[in-house]
Amino acid sequence: MSSVSQTAFGQGSRIVFNIYMVIFFAYMFLPLILMVAAGFNEFSTPSVTVWRGFTLKWFGVLAQDTRMWSGLINSLIIAIAVILVSLPLGLAGAFVITRFDSRYNGLLYGIMVSPLLTPGIILGISTLIFWRETGVSGGLFTAAMAQATYISSYTMLMFMARLERQDITLEEAAMDLGASHIQVFRRITMPFLKPTILTASVIAFLQSFENYNTTIFSIGGSHTLVTEIGSRMRFGLTPAVNVIGIIFVVITIVSAAIYVIFREREKARAAAVKG
Amino acid sequence: MNSLLRSFGPRMTTVILLLSVVWVAGMIIGPQLIMVEQSFWYKDQGGEAAANSVRIDRLYNDIDMLSFDKMDAEALVPSQERDAKIAGIETVVAEKRVVIAELEAREIAPKKVYSLRNYTIMGRSHLAIFIKTILASVAVTFIAFVVCYPMAYTVAKLATPGKAAIIMLGLIIPYAINELLRVFAWLMILNYNGVANYLLGLVGIDSVPFLESGTGVFIAMVYAYILFMVFPIYNTVETLDTAQIEAARDLGAPTWQIHRRVVLPHAKPGIAVGCIMTFMLSAGSYAVPYIMTRGTAEPWFTQLIYNKFFESSNWNTGSAYAFTLLVACIIFIFLMMRLFKVGIKDIAK
Repeated sequence: MSSVSQTAFGQGSRIVFNIYMVIFFAYMFLPLILMVAAGFNEFSTPSVTVWRGFTLKWFGVLAQDTRMWSGLINSLIIAIAVILVSLPLGLAGAFVITRFDSRYNGLLYGIMVSPLLTPGIILGISTLIFWRETGVSGGLFTAAMAQATYISSYTMLMFMARLERQDITLEEAAMDLGASHIQVFRRITMPFLKPTILTASVIAFLQSFENYNTTIFSIGGSHTLVTEIGSRMRFGLTPAVNVIGIIFVVITIVSAAIYVIFREREKARAAAVKG
Repeated sequence: MNSLLRSFGPRMTTVILLLSVVWVAGMIIGPQLIMVEQSFWYKDQGGEAAANSVRIDRLYNDIDMLSFDKMDAEALVPSQERDAKIAGIETVVAEKRVVIAELEAREIAPKKVYSLRNYTIMGRSHLAIFIKTILASVAVTFIAFVVCYPMAYTVAKLATPGKAAIIMLGLIIPYAINELLRVFAWLMILNYNGVANYLLGLVGIDSVPFLESGTGVFIAMVYAYILFMVFPIYNTVETLDTAQIEAARDLGAPTWQIHRRVVLPHAKPGIAVGCIMTFMLSAGSYAVPYIMTRGTAEPWFTQLIYNKFFESSNWNTGSAYAFTLLVACIIFIFLMMRLFKVGIKDIAK
């Protein structure tokens, strides 16, 4: 590999390339570092240019913030609802696409992935309108439904990727030996899908928890942690918001590191199997 | 039916089909159709309702006047002529009351009128904002591609595995941090008394109103959505056999030719996905303009949609605006599929 990088660039372009890498990552990380730093500043508006000394008091201020706590609870409720809705829907969709041979499959597939290509605010609005017709006004329920619309597309793609690798003869063998459809599903299909169910739940949870654009258009008068953060950024901004930023950054770094380590290990294992 | 039925049996197949129908019809197509339907009618209140109430008032006045006439008539000496006059007045009053009842009924239940009014109402200023939003999103997409292509290529093909893992980590972390917080970081930088103006002040340049001029929205938007370009391109470039690049080089192709003839054609589906995602997120972003304009700069099109729904609560016009945005995104998707000659199966993987 390193020989490729040797030949790919001359000395001059290597320097240009390194400068590019440095600028790129500075661009990615400096803003985040500033945001984290301002969370430790005594000054009452988020700032790094006016430094009034190091403090941890904004952590305390955040812990006292009842609206943030209720937002967090709402976020968790919605995320769990989204998992419960989007996993069965995604799985059903994946089964239909992989095993239901009809000439409308392509069209059906296009419709099922279309929420991923639709702006989130439109998913939010259309869900809100749809449920208002049946007399349900905006709230946690509509927010969960709007999110589940596109998160189901994610889970479907994940299940499809897994199902494509499935050895269907196993199911057939079980059935030849007299197992019922339910038994085959419970004993063979589900265990095979188990890892995907786990990762799909995690992805669904994260997607739901982090969502702003779809949620703000469908949640009515209620709020989640993220929509509350959004409104704080316009009204009543204090470094407590930066503290939330610090918490998010720490959680993200830890989980991203775990993810990359796992990925590398998987890759190494795959290479070992191949070799 | 076939293999679905064979592997799951009739009962589970029914459940699977039912769930799919709920999702496709009840969550994807249904809501969109109702939104589109709403965008094509409006409740006939407004101008006509005002005219209505004027007419009703006038009719009530007429009845009052007639009741005076009637009293005058009643004061006359009883005669056939007097009775006829009173009866005449009474019929006129009765007629007018019927008209009033009709008008009042219409006032309570405004008429649903199908028209293109919700679209034509947009006017020049909102149309300008729409066009600005689309053009800015195209620009964000273009910048993201130019910046991200070298990075995606590096991680996929140039870096050693260890280095690639570290770069990957460096990409995933900012990608995974909540959109709002990433935008907020730029709010701190571009604020009137923010970091950027502090640095400009050090070299003696006057403060620049980044937020008030709308540049802040653009800068933060590039930052917020740029990484959505990296991963799709990375995924496709990674599947390219490195031997092809080496063969091209051995045959004497200069670097730019290798990219033009070998890497870029292979990366087409990834580039298409990256462009579609970046464009869609930018054009449909509410968070970035909401935070970065502070209500002082010209709004983004999504903010107009939000205002139609939640401030002036005109859902029909709001639906029309939302559908306009959706159509723009669909057109963009088809343009990209044409440009890169890829199908929907290549895009959504």
